[in-house]
Amino acid sequence: MRKLLLVFIFSVSITCFSQNKQILYNFTSVPQSMLSNPGTDVKYKWFVGIPLLSGFSANLGSSGFSVYDLFANNGVDFNTKLRNVVFSTSRNDKVSINEQLEIFSGGFKLGDWQENSYISFGIYQELDVLTYIPKDFAILALDGNKDYLGKVFDLGDLNARGELLSVFHLGYHKNVNENLILGVRGKIYSSIFNISSTKNSGYSYTIPGANSIYDQVISSNILINTSGFTNYTDNYSGNAGSDIIKKTFFGGNLGLGLDLGLTYYPQKNLQFTASLIDIGFINHTREVRNYSFKGYYRYVGLTPDFIAGNSNLSQKFQDAIPLDTLSVKYKTWRPLKFNSSIQYSFGDGRNSECSCEGNEIKYKNSVGAQLFVMSTPRLPLTALTAYYKRQIFDSLEMKATYTIDSFSSKNIGLGLSTTLGKVNFYILADNLLEYKDVSKANSLSFQLGLNIIFPDKNTPD
Amino acid sequence: MNKLLGIFILSILSLSCSSDLDFNQVNNLKLEPVFIGNLATFDVQANQFVIGGVEQTASGDFLDFDVFRDTYFTNALTRADFFFEINNTINRAFKINLVFFDANNLPLYSIPFDVPANASGITKTEIFQNSKLDLLKRTAKIGFVIKLPPGVPFLTENSLGSLKLRSKATIYLVLE
Repeated sequence: MRKLLLVFIFSVSITCFSQNKQILYNFTSVPQSMLSNPGTDVKYKWFVGIPLLSGFSANLGSSGFSVYDLFANNGVDFNTKLRNVVFSTSRNDKVSINEQLEIFSGGFKLGDWQENSYISFGIYQELDVLTYIPKDFAILALDGNKDYLGKVFDLGDLNARGELLSVFHLGYHKNVNENLILGVRGKIYSSIFNISSTKNSGYSYTIPGANSIYDQVISSNILINTSGFTNYTDNYSGNAGSDIIKKTFFGGNLGLGLDLGLTYYPQKNLQFTASLIDIGFINHTREVRNYSFKGYYRYVGLTPDFIAGNSNLSQKFQDAIPLDTLSVKYKTWRPLKFNSSIQYSFGDGRNSECSCEGNEIKYKNSVGAQLFVMSTPRLPLTALTAYYKRQIFDSLEMKATYTIDSFSSKNIGLGLSTTLGKVNFYILADNLLEYKDVSKANSLSFQLGLNIIFPDKNTPD
Repeated sequence: MNKLLGIFILSILSLSCSSDLDFNQVNNLKLEPVFIGNLATFDVQANQFVIGGVEQTASGDFLDFDVFRDTYFTNALTRADFFFEINNTINRAFKINLVFFDANNLPLYSIPFDVPANASGITKTEIFQNSKLDLLKRTAKIGFVIKLPPGVPFLTENSLGSLKLRSKATIYLVLE
């Protein structure tokens, strides 16, 4: 069991970083960019994503240590490597995985060519895990408390959340005027599994005592909420596969969410965008199980009573800090994401042979900066990106990014989107410098997809 | 144009490398934590040995000690050190005996102390390893017995001082 848990924790660490999609954000030739800003300046007559192939992204991140640090086949004893990792990380180091798979997506333009409003919709499935390093628990497991007389162990170090859910969304964006595009996206979440233990507190210490040799106290306020598991832990006789499919389509624990976004052009060659993603919650009411470990206990050891005799202390600890298993419904908030960018464009990309009058300027190059902030149980996760975007050919667009965040300070990313005929293919990858040895990477992300796009026309057919 | 795209994809797929990793190392995981904690404590006042004006020659208590019911803990335990420290500020000598009993109340092991009158800083360390540890692991109850051998001055309800015992356990675990 313990080993399984370890394998799980570390396999989680191989797969992931947070949900920053710095290459995809505002990469307007890819319709999936609307998922990071519903007010993205994307124009189409209609588009449809190739089912299951239109969008796949995986982000993995681990601040503080890499897979190599733990699993390098270098002759160093695994326990030594584990110690080095534990003692070189802090309680604020984290392991994060985010994976999204679009099951279906599409969109169309409303009204005739003079109208400028667009609908987009789809279903995607998302896996989201964020675990802080439970440093003080790891120290206790590795060393015990013998060499830590006087240290206060922080039980709040246990801080983790994980979820598998499906998301149904319907978005609308409109060119309110020539300079401003507003967008909104409504979401229904159907949570398949959830584990959430993010508000723990408590402490434990051992100090020299007066009456007894030690003064030993544990004060615990730990709560682990789970939903979606009980069917499998309690004498399950059904079919897990069909259960998950059922839960994907509204059969799970349900929630509601909202995305808001805008794109604004103060000048033709200057663009500002901003979005708030996943303003939403999930109510966990089905298959809920909570584990609570709450109470205060001062451990004095055996205290024989020679007068009264026959004192019985065996139950004291369990009575003081009982491990309770409950079924109380709970609510989780989705991690809220904020994106913003500012972009300057230059270089007239119009074909010199065309008669350009009345034809809108199409810039060839853009440079810009982006900010990403995501809420976490502790300090928000922040990333800053500088980028260069270029229309290489009519059918090929490129975006190169340089990102600084808590996982890496030299994250170079590259995205390419090609549209041949009606078929759009895109591939985006970041942390390219780390691909020379992925096992040493602290974060990696990868996205690709395939769409069919009928472009918008601003003239009547 | 498509060459560019092809080169990009190829470079990601083929130029990416990984150092030699061995995930089976997790099977070598071996945790060896050492915990310290209080074992037993008492502080008996001199006048508590007197009931109805009569000295009690023997006092005792019998306590459940069920930590070894947890087989996971018992299997992981490789060594236990018990450290005792006694301070006697009563002007009489005592004999203290700690007896470990199994689930059938049969005595397994005992730790005796001779405590002279007005003696402080009496210490003793018992190290449980190997077969001695196996004996300890069968413990289900601990008996504490204090004997007051005949002597003077007689204890009365106004006698001063106390017989104090503090003890700690150092627990060595190996988890793999």
